[in-house]
Amino acid sequence: MNRERFDAWLRNIYETQDVEISCTECFDLISQFVELETSGQDASAELSQVKQHLYQCRACHDEYEMLRDLARFENEGGPPLLDDL
Amino acid sequence: MSRTRSNEEWLNDLKSKGAAQESAIADLRGILLRAVLYLFNRNLGDLGGLARDDALKLAEDCAQEALIAVLNHLSDFRGDSKFTTWAYKFAVNIGLTAARHERWKDVSLDQLSIAEDDGISEWLMQDKSPSLGPDQSALQNEVRRAIREVIERDLTDKQRRVLLLMVFNEVPMDEVVQQLDTNRNAIYKLLHDARRKLKSGLQSRGFEVGETLALFSSKG
Repeated sequence: MNRERFDAWLRNIYETQDVEISCTECFDLISQFVELETSGQDASAELSQVKQHLYQCRACHDEYEMLRDLARFENEGGPPLLDDL
Repeated sequence: MSRTRSNEEWLNDLKSKGAAQESAIADLRGILLRAVLYLFNRNLGDLGGLARDDALKLAEDCAQEALIAVLNHLSDFRGDSKFTTWAYKFAVNIGLTAARHERWKDVSLDQLSIAEDDGISEWLMQDKSPSLGPDQSALQNEVRRAIREVIERDLTDKQRRVLLLMVFNEVPMDEVVQQLDTNRNAIYKLLHDARRKLKSGLQSRGFEVGETLALFSSKG
C-alpha cells in the first residue's frame, strides 16, 4: 500500500461516524443528491449522510460520479450516441 | 430521437397501455442503453478483454435489466429528481457491476496473494521514505503496529477478511459480494464496524486524528 493510499485510508478511519447509512439507503437518495448538485444547490447540507457514505464507499462513489455525468448530459439532449463515443 | 417527457408524462405513459406505453418503454430502453454505453466507454479498462460486439451485447443486456428494474420500482419514484436521473441510477448500478465483473471474473479471492499473517505487516510497511527522520519513522511504525494489532486481535474473522480484500487488495465490493454470496449492505457494515474498531483502537492508544494524519502526510 503506497503512501497516498495509506494516507487516504487513515483519513477514512478517522472520518468514521458511529452511524452511517447503508448502500441501499444511499441508492434510494442518490438521484435526489445529484439533482441538488446539478441545480447548483448544496447537496451536502441537505443530505450529509449521503455525502458521508460516498466518502467511505468506493462502489457507491463511482456510481455517483457516473450518475452526475449523465444528469448533466440531460441539459444537452442526453448521453452521447454510440457513434459519438 | 425520443421525445422529451416531464416526470408526470413518463409515469403516465409507462403505467398506461397500448401505443403510449410501448413508445415510453422504447424511449426509456434507448436512453438507458446510451447511459450504459457511456459508462462502458468511461470504464474501458474493465472491458479490455471484450470484443466490441460482445461489449455491445453486454450493454444491451444491462440496459434491458435496468429497464425491468425501473418498471418494477416505478412506485418508488418520489419526484425529487428528474425521472431520467432516477432511472439512470439503475443503469449505472447494473452497468458498473457488469463492467467490473468482466475484469475480475477469473480471479479467485482465495488465491489473492495476501496471507493474513505476514501480509498485513508487509502491506503496512511497504512505504519506507528514506527522507524520514528517526523520530518520525519510529512514530509511523508505532501507528502501523497499532493498526496491525487491531486488525489481528479486535476484528472478527469476517471483518478482517473483507478489510484485507477490499482495502489491501482493492477488490471491488460487488466482486466480494458475489464471491462471498452476500449483499452490499452486509459488506459495508463489516467495513464500517472494522473502521470503528480501528478508529477506537488508534485513539485509545493516544493517536489522535490531527497529529496522526500530519505524521503521514508530511513530506519529511
